Amino acid sequence: MKYDFLDSDVLARLGALPVESRLAMIGNVVGKHRSPHRGSSVEFAEYRKYVQGDDTRRLDWKAFARSDRYYIKEFEADTNLRAYFLVDCSGSMNFASGEHDTKIQYARKLAASLSYLLVNQGDAAGLSCCTDTLHLEIPPSRRPAQLQIIFDTLADIKPTGETGLIGALHTVAEKIGQRALVVIISDLFTDPAALADALQHLRFRKHDISVFHLMDQQEIDFDFNRPYRFVDLEDGTSVVAEPNLIAEEYSAALKEFFRDVETACHDVHADYHLVTTNQNYEDIMRDFLTARLPKQGRG
Amino acid sequence: MTFLQGSLLYGLFALSIPVIIHLLNRRRFRTVKWAAMQFVLKATRESRGKKRLKQIIILTCRALAIAALIFAISRPMLGGFLGWGSGKIDTVVLILDRSPSMERREADGQPVKRESVLARVATAMQELDGARLVLIDSATNEAQDIPSPDVLPELSTTGPTDAAADIPGLLSTAIEYLQEAKPSRSEIWIASDLQRTDWSPDDPRWAAFRAGLDELRPQLVQLRILSLNSRKRNDYAITTLAARREAGELLLDLELSREEDTGPATLPVTYNINGARSASTIQIEGQSIRFQKRLPLEGQSDGGYGWVAIPTDTNSRNNVSYYAFGAEAPAYAYYVHEDGVPEEVIEAVGRAAAPGLPNQELTVLPENLGHQVDWERASLVVWQAALPTGPVAEQLLKFIQTGGVAVFLPPAQDSENSFGGISWGSVTESADGRYFIVKEWNHQDGPLRDGVDGTPVPLQRLRAILRREISGDTTELAEWDDGTTLLGRRIIDNGTALFLNTLPDYSWSNLEQTAVHLVALQRSLNLGSQRHGAGFFAIAGQSNAQPEAEEIRFRLDAYSNGDPANADYEAGVYKLGERVVAVNRSSSEDSLGQTSNPDLDTALVGTNFKLFEESAAGGDPLVREAWRAFLVAMLLLLIAEALLCLQPKRPLALPPTPQPST
Repeated sequence: MKYDFLDSDVLARLGALPVESRLAMIGNVVGKHRSPHRGSSVEFAEYRKYVQGDDTRRLDWKAFARSDRYYIKEFEADTNLRAYFLVDCSGSMNFASGEHDTKIQYARKLAASLSYLLVNQGDAAGLSCCTDTLHLEIPPSRRPAQLQIIFDTLADIKPTGETGLIGALHTVAEKIGQRALVVIISDLFTDPAALADALQHLRFRKHDISVFHLMDQQEIDFDFNRPYRFVDLEDGTSVVAEPNLIAEEYSAALKEFFRDVETACHDVHADYHLVTTNQNYEDIMRDFLTARLPKQGRG
Repeated sequence: MTFLQGSLLYGLFALSIPVIIHLLNRRRFRTVKWAAMQFVLKATRESRGKKRLKQIIILTCRALAIAALIFAISRPMLGGFLGWGSGKIDTVVLILDRSPSMERREADGQPVKRESVLARVATAMQELDGARLVLIDSATNEAQDIPSPDVLPELSTTGPTDAAADIPGLLSTAIEYLQEAKPSRSEIWIASDLQRTDWSPDDPRWAAFRAGLDELRPQLVQLRILSLNSRKRNDYAITTLAARREAGELLLDLELSREEDTGPATLPVTYNINGARSASTIQIEGQSIRFQKRLPLEGQSDGGYGWVAIPTDTNSRNNVSYYAFGAEAPAYAYYVHEDGVPEEVIEAVGRAAAPGLPNQELTVLPENLGHQVDWERASLVVWQAALPTGPVAEQLLKFIQTGGVAVFLPPAQDSENSFGGISWGSVTESADGRYFIVKEWNHQDGPLRDGVDGTPVPLQRLRAILRREISGDTTELAEWDDGTTLLGRRIIDNGTALFLNTLPDYSWSNLEQTAVHLVALQRSLNLGSQRHGAGFFAIAGQSNAQPEAEEIRFRLDAYSNGDPANADYEAGVYKLGERVVAVNRSSSEDSLGQTSNPDLDTALVGTNFKLFEESAAGGDPLVREAWRAFLVAMLLLLIAEALLCLQPKRPLALPPTPQPST
């Protein structure tokens, strides 16, 4: 395969699982996703009283026979899904420890694979890559050629600079007119309060939010045995520290960060996944897709 | 604090190693490009205070552990005689016990106590850099400035002597010196084996010493006592009690003693008389044995000298005893009687005092010529008159004090005179048809003791009609059947006063027939004659062992050469002018009695003295204690360092992924 972040075997295995939306979507074509509007699908939605102007062909005569009243039988409308992949391209996404993928490599795998699955099931996929200086946006499309654009874009992005995630989230929230699935793939190294505001903005616009919070295992363990000069991948600032002496405080700060991020996601009913780059992305995606499958009652 | 391996203290420079490693480690950092920088910056800000403190504590623990190790291997004398608290001392007054008991070795191959303590003092003085050392030794009792502690072992004033130590006297000298020199801060170090006879803890001079210390204030004077402990060892000592001529032979009264009773033992004894040697063996059971040795004089009529020796053992100073004896001379007895004494009584006493044996002379004097007694040459004075008073009484008392024997017989006339607190009472007469008979007497001691073969004197045959009561404090040697004293004794210094309360006269008793008085007088004459032999004996360090004006000292015996500089305090046979004197160590030096801690507390109450008990033998336990203390400290420091460094790292638990509801 041309792109090293795509694995045909993984895609083949995951192809059996549909990418579902947890909220009703508003699409522009018929699809396989639930819509807030009534439509012509085979799935019964409700009875409602006939009002003047309704198409008499939709009257349920059997109900009239039983109740001597006019009822209109309504069915669910199915529509397509539009998904936005918002990939953080700040310098911090370029971090990797050992032989593991960098966070941006991992993000590419997630975004590309999900895009493929979405387009493949007839839904639209778009991409937004953001830094503090760059906001590259590919509008969602259902066309198969969209995948080529997305893959090329993912392959070309080079993480640099500081994060522009918060601004990108607000932009996306404003720009997308209809309900959509917004998938955020980032290490979220930004102000948790600003992140919470941005997520609230998305939620206000009734988008289905999913967050892949990427972390490297070394960032969590902070396992060093000698002094190090830590150089910031984003702005180049550095500090010399003895990890043994600050490990406890580091761990406490990280815990607080996780708690804040988790709380922000929970408040907006976001689908939050803390992912370390040493985990198998196929497992992560399977868990993600399985958790979004419709509940028993609806099926 | 002193160290036996002081050069190892240079290892203290190793204290800097942990700090250097730490600094190098900080400089040799690696660079890593890091994404989660916001947490590193926050952790660095928050950990700055307490983490730095913890780091300093860890570094301190490491450095102190190294220091403890170096101290331990440097063999510190912690808490020892010259340990903590020495401070900056201006003057050290060393009081050195040079008595023979300090010449004892605690183990074979070890230095004697005196040498051991000198080495310790020399080492300690090197630590007290610049302190003045003043030596007061027990022989000279004079303060002497010591230019360098290194020369201490080579000084004649630190050498061995046979003179006893007078510790209270030495301390008095120290106080006098300090009063005169007025050092700002001084210490008195007493190096002694705490022999009780040397320390005399009941001596009134201790109070004077304490008062003297108080008067020295505001001078700071610290008193330190280095007690060189002894443990019992198989140490034998030989002592000459007396040497006298008897029937053409020299009769030596000797005593062999030992520290511990290790069962029967046979010891070779070497005798030297005028250069001629002989030897025999003596078996000892128990702690001591007294025995006599007769050495033939082979017609020699003038005086002589010699020594008695046993093999050298733990303490070589008590393995020899010297003696000297004078030329052949008669034993003089004087009989002073009151007026009106029947001739028969005078003759009876005269026959008893001089029964015709060779070398015995008797002079009979009436009471009014009592002053004509030649007190110098007399051995026995029989006084049968009212007890003397005035100058005669003084001369008689001095005669007794110098070893003479006086036998007092009851006068016919009543008198209220007393002698030494003893006086004659009234005459008592027995009941009609009855006699005073003897109830019991001392068979072991005194002039009425049993013979050498165990035969008792025939005192049970004694019958008395008259007797004169004895008033005063005497030791009862014989007792009448009604409990009244027949023969009483009073020991006055070296001599003896005997009071016999009946007369060898038929109107008084049948003493003449029993001849008991003859035995008593002859034995008393023998005892008294020893005072002339005693003139040939002296105790080392005492005045009679020193040459008088214009006398020249010359050592006669060849047992050892000795140190001429210490001749005044060494045992040996010396010719002092025309005199020949056998100088021996004091018998108190063979005593095993130690001054106990309560005795020291009492004698030195309020002086804040410090007592350090050390063994003169190798392997000082106090030093080992210091090793342990430092090693334990090192261990504790390393454990503390490990606990600080090896705090369990709490892994960061990943929060569970929330599953938001739709």
